[in-house]
Amino acid sequence: MGRSPSRVELLQGTLDLLILRTLLTGPAHGHAIGQHIQRTSEHVLQVETGSLYPALHRLEARGWIAASWELSNKGKRARFYRLTPLGRRQLTAEQSKWDAFARAMALLLKPLDKRTP
Amino acid sequence: MNAFFRKLTWLARRSEKEAELREELRVHLELDAEERLEDGLSEDEAYLAARRSLGNRAVVEEDTRAAWGWRRLEQLARDAEYGLRLVRRSPAFSGIAIATLALGIGGITAMFSAFDAVLIRPLPYADASRLVMIWDDMGKTDVVSKQQPTPAEWVEWRRLNTAFTDIAASQPADVSLSGDGDPEQVPARRVTWTFWSVLGVQPALGRVFSEREDTNGAKLAVISHGLWQRRFGGSLAVLGRTIALNDEPYEVIGVMPARFYFMPSRDIDIWMPASFPEWMRHSFGWHDEQIVARLRPGVTLEQARQSMAALSLQVTAKQFPSAHAVTLVPLREEMAGKTQTALIVLLGASSVLLLIACANLANLLLSRGSARGREVALRVALGAGRGRLVAQFLTESLVLAVLGTMAGLALARPVMRFLETLVPDAMGAAHLTVDWRVLLFSVAVAVSAALTFGLVPALRGSRFAPGAALRDGGRGTAGARSHWVRHALIVFETSLAVVLLTCGGLLLQTFEHLRHTDLGFRSERLLTFETPLFRYKDFDRRIAFVNAEVESMRAIPGVIGAGSIDLLPFTNVSNATFYRFEGQPSSSVPGQVALIRNVSRDYLPVVGARLREGRFFDGSDRKTDAPVAIVNEALANRHFAGQSPLGKRFKFGSLGEKGHWYTIVGVLRQIPEGGMFEEAKPAVYRVREQCDQIDNLSAGIVVRTAVDPASIVAAVRLAIWSLDRNQPLARIQTMETMVDRQLSTPSQSTALLGAFALLALLLASLGTYGVLSYAVTQRTSEIGVRMALGASSGQVLLSFARRGLALTLAGLAIGLVLAAIAARSMTALLYGFQPDYLTTIALVSFVLVTVAALACFVPAFRASRVDPVVALRAE
Repeated sequence: MGRSPSRVELLQGTLDLLILRTLLTGPAHGHAIGQHIQRTSEHVLQVETGSLYPALHRLEARGWIAASWELSNKGKRARFYRLTPLGRRQLTAEQSKWDAFARAMALLLKPLDKRTP
Repeated sequence: MNAFFRKLTWLARRSEKEAELREELRVHLELDAEERLEDGLSEDEAYLAARRSLGNRAVVEEDTRAAWGWRRLEQLARDAEYGLRLVRRSPAFSGIAIATLALGIGGITAMFSAFDAVLIRPLPYADASRLVMIWDDMGKTDVVSKQQPTPAEWVEWRRLNTAFTDIAASQPADVSLSGDGDPEQVPARRVTWTFWSVLGVQPALGRVFSEREDTNGAKLAVISHGLWQRRFGGSLAVLGRTIALNDEPYEVIGVMPARFYFMPSRDIDIWMPASFPEWMRHSFGWHDEQIVARLRPGVTLEQARQSMAALSLQVTAKQFPSAHAVTLVPLREEMAGKTQTALIVLLGASSVLLLIACANLANLLLSRGSARGREVALRVALGAGRGRLVAQFLTESLVLAVLGTMAGLALARPVMRFLETLVPDAMGAAHLTVDWRVLLFSVAVAVSAALTFGLVPALRGSRFAPGAALRDGGRGTAGARSHWVRHALIVFETSLAVVLLTCGGLLLQTFEHLRHTDLGFRSERLLTFETPLFRYKDFDRRIAFVNAEVESMRAIPGVIGAGSIDLLPFTNVSNATFYRFEGQPSSSVPGQVALIRNVSRDYLPVVGARLREGRFFDGSDRKTDAPVAIVNEALANRHFAGQSPLGKRFKFGSLGEKGHWYTIVGVLRQIPEGGMFEEAKPAVYRVREQCDQIDNLSAGIVVRTAVDPASIVAAVRLAIWSLDRNQPLARIQTMETMVDRQLSTPSQSTALLGAFALLALLLASLGTYGVLSYAVTQRTSEIGVRMALGASSGQVLLSFARRGLALTLAGLAIGLVLAAIAARSMTALLYGFQPDYLTTIALVSFVLVTVAALACFVPAFRASRVDPVVALRAE
């Protein structure tokens, strides 16, 4: 399974956040969600299909997203997911958690010379 | 819509969901491939790349399905199905496993149903835990430590107490119910109007009586659901109807609910207003009340005890013979009585049996687990995780447990019939049934049993290095540790079996002792019954009628003799009297209390009573001013140790000026009038004609027959009815039945504990047998090598037998220690008897070692017959 070294494994739980965030811009089918994450992250984040669909169905089971069959822009019937109000609230919560986490990481990983008193 | 319901809806449209998922993934593949086409790949390459990027499609589908949240359920169903298939595939193994479990679970389920009925099930009163019974405590020297209080005490306690919201009294009032149909003797109570509010009960139909009606002596009756159904066909018209009780008209005003009952017996059919006459309200000598009280909110039992102790002394300070204390007993404890200990011990015994069954099953599963090494290794190689394997094994155990429980419930039914006689008379559940409580209990037991016997084999069975196991060709893979577990299990179950055997042995000895207790009379071929005498209010007419009854009995063919006594033995009613000898002060004789029985002249010889000295009553003992009495040994020994009491004069019944001096003419060997387990109590007997105060309004008749007593019952009825067509007869039964009933609790508990002990022995030795057999099978090749190297078959036999016996002896040693502890907890079941503990444990050890030796010998013998050539060729 040769994976390019520049790609980063997704942190546990981040995929859910990324899916919710992607759907904020509007409904999308599974493939498009995967592509969007990959492109927007400049191909750093690689979404495995084997994790994507279980994650989508899990979020659907929790009621954060809802699904329906619609025509894609290429004229194919695909299963489109959209954010539910519950999912929107969840996104806000997850987002602020993530921000806090990222800030903490950034503080800890500041270059050494700036940190010395 | 919440997540749980969403998942359920999905489960309902499951095939649709599956199709949808397949379609979704197919679309994904197409979209992915199209994108790659646009990137310039050829069509084949694009599809191939798309498929590669999707990965293992089956796994993706499986993982996604997992997100639907019912994978667990599906796995469970699949494992259960597989478990059932395993059961069918190895019927011998499953048969033994299910039978073992059925014994364990059946036993504990039956015991629980009785335990629940007596000790857990809510009593049919509001907040029953706040109810207490109050008894007079006349001190240690008295014949009855718990004496029934008097109406006067009820009046005073109600007036002065601070511990109770209210107090109710009830007295025996068995009545003859006549009018439509045969006259019928019905158990009844006279109760104060507070009875209903203290218990917090309502009639199912109609109403109960008020304070005013009680005080005015209104003739009203509240009847039981049973009587309503039986005698009045459950008709609503029963309310307001007039019935004849002891020939007096009473109006039926209420019907109690079917589940209502109260002390002293669930058979009570009628409750009437107590309507104490004025003299009774001041009588501190009329000890025939049962008193129940409801604790005031916030008052503890201990506080109530203290305040009532003080109050009782104050109330009875000036009363004859002296002030006395009271005993407070919580209602449940009062009702359960001695049965409580029996039930606890038996429930304990049945759980021990279940534990043994579980240990056996664990061993069986361990053996099968190692035989299944290859299957497990294959599953591991195919990617099954340890948790998944453990879950699978546990589910299989659960399947066995469920099947075992079903068989166990079938086994429990007949045991429950047997247990019903253990439920005290004072309690409701005359019929034990498998209701939802019992069912819930057995399901809980089954699940915990499955976990108990399934966990160790599951953990062990799931721990395999697939490579090694597969190479091994799937034969045994159990290491030394597994032997250790197995051996520990055997020691464990053997020690438990020793505990049960020892306790069973002690009970059996006690029971044998009780069965051979000297009753002081001969109980065989003795018919007894009671005739209430309310119709004969005049003393002389009453005596004449009782004598006529006895005469009419003698005229029946097959009858050898007949006699009468006011209270038959074991009637549980302790009619007692104070007494004083000539020369003792006339006022207070504390502690001088004796049971009193008024008999016909022939009664004592007819029942086969024996004299220590003196004579029985005879024809010369007529109504006279110089009456005679016979005392029992307990009374004679108390006052005349070493000398003869014959000719001594004493007063009892009425001690005052009017009372007669009775001359002692005989000393009787003890008859346990109050019950077989009561300690010897002083008693006086006199001829009914020579009573100097009110005698009992009832006569017990005994008939000694040459034929089967049951065969003359019809003739007895006819004879009594030819004297008086309206005379009711009550409780017609043989004396042997009465003795059996006395022995029922000890005989039931002995039989049950004995059965549990034997089953435990059987299971434990089967366990030993199983483990040794398994070891022999596993080590066949090793035995072959040893024999090829010159070990004799005797040496091989010994080495296996020695191991089995070592386990047994270890179990025996631990078991004897545990048994010593257990035996102490059941002293209450030994009825004061001191069984021979040493003989018991010697016998238990002997039986255990013998059975174990047999269980060891068979596999050891098989080992010694291993043919080295065959064994080695099998390698």
